[in-house]
Amino acid sequence: MKRIDAIKKIMENVTDEVIIASTGMISRELHHVKDRPRNFYMMGSMGNALGIGLGIAISSEHKVIVISGDGAALMSLGTMVLHKKLDPGNLKHYILDNGCHSTTGGQPTCSDMVDFASLAPNTEVIIVSKEKGDSPRIPFSPKEITERFRNAISADNT
Amino acid sequence: MKAKYDLIAGVPCSKLKDFIADIKDYIPCTREDEAAALAAGAYLAGKEPLVFLQNSGLGNMVDIITSLYKPYGIEVDLLISVRHKPEHHALMGSITRKLMELMEYEKYELIEQ
Repeated sequence: MKRIDAIKKIMENVTDEVIIASTGMISRELHHVKDRPRNFYMMGSMGNALGIGLGIAISSEHKVIVISGDGAALMSLGTMVLHKKLDPGNLKHYILDNGCHSTTGGQPTCSDMVDFASLAPNTEVIIVSKEKGDSPRIPFSPKEITERFRNAISADNT
Repeated sequence: MKAKYDLIAGVPCSKLKDFIADIKDYIPCTREDEAAALAAGAYLAGKEPLVFLQNSGLGNMVDIITSLYKPYGIEVDLLISVRHKPEHHALMGSITRKLMELMEYEKYELIEQ
């Protein structure tokens, strides 16, 4: 399965969830599949999407989806342990695992050394192919992403 | 201080142990950038978070400050203890304030050793 098809599959069941998308092509492909104000495209700070999602989940009643790659998940193994400790029922973490950093040229990761789903609750690994993908850049500035996201999720203040 | 914040997250420092003992129900994080990420999530949800750390851990936060907090306009209070001794703390101790200025980050308080 291509990574973008995995994102399409995730989006089929999404209604009012807030989504934190990890650095690189995952953010670009989510934007390409279905842009919405409740998507937060974390274009930098690789490895921190799960932490942001946890912060929202424990600060609100929102249902939160975090979409990481295997490279980012490996960077935040400690955060997966904290996810288990805090165990908010309103957070789902998808890890799209292609075994490499496809955005930067396909350099391999060590994702085959770890069973991500065993580390934290509500964590699902989807194996995807290694294609880099060709979704265009996100046309919003970072501050625009923050502003529309905050407005969207504070509107019902849940 | 606790009353002002909805979420407090951090990594301990011996210089902050009385502060930490007072707040009790903080989120104990594995790394400083993880604490900053949780705080960013709280901020995005409309809450007021605080991150505490020792200045040695500021190095772990350079990426999230420069590529998330600043460009995305995420404003979180940081409480940073500043160690100068023993020697392995000396260099970071001498550049901590300058590093904050270089990153153009203004919402912080330094607790000097």
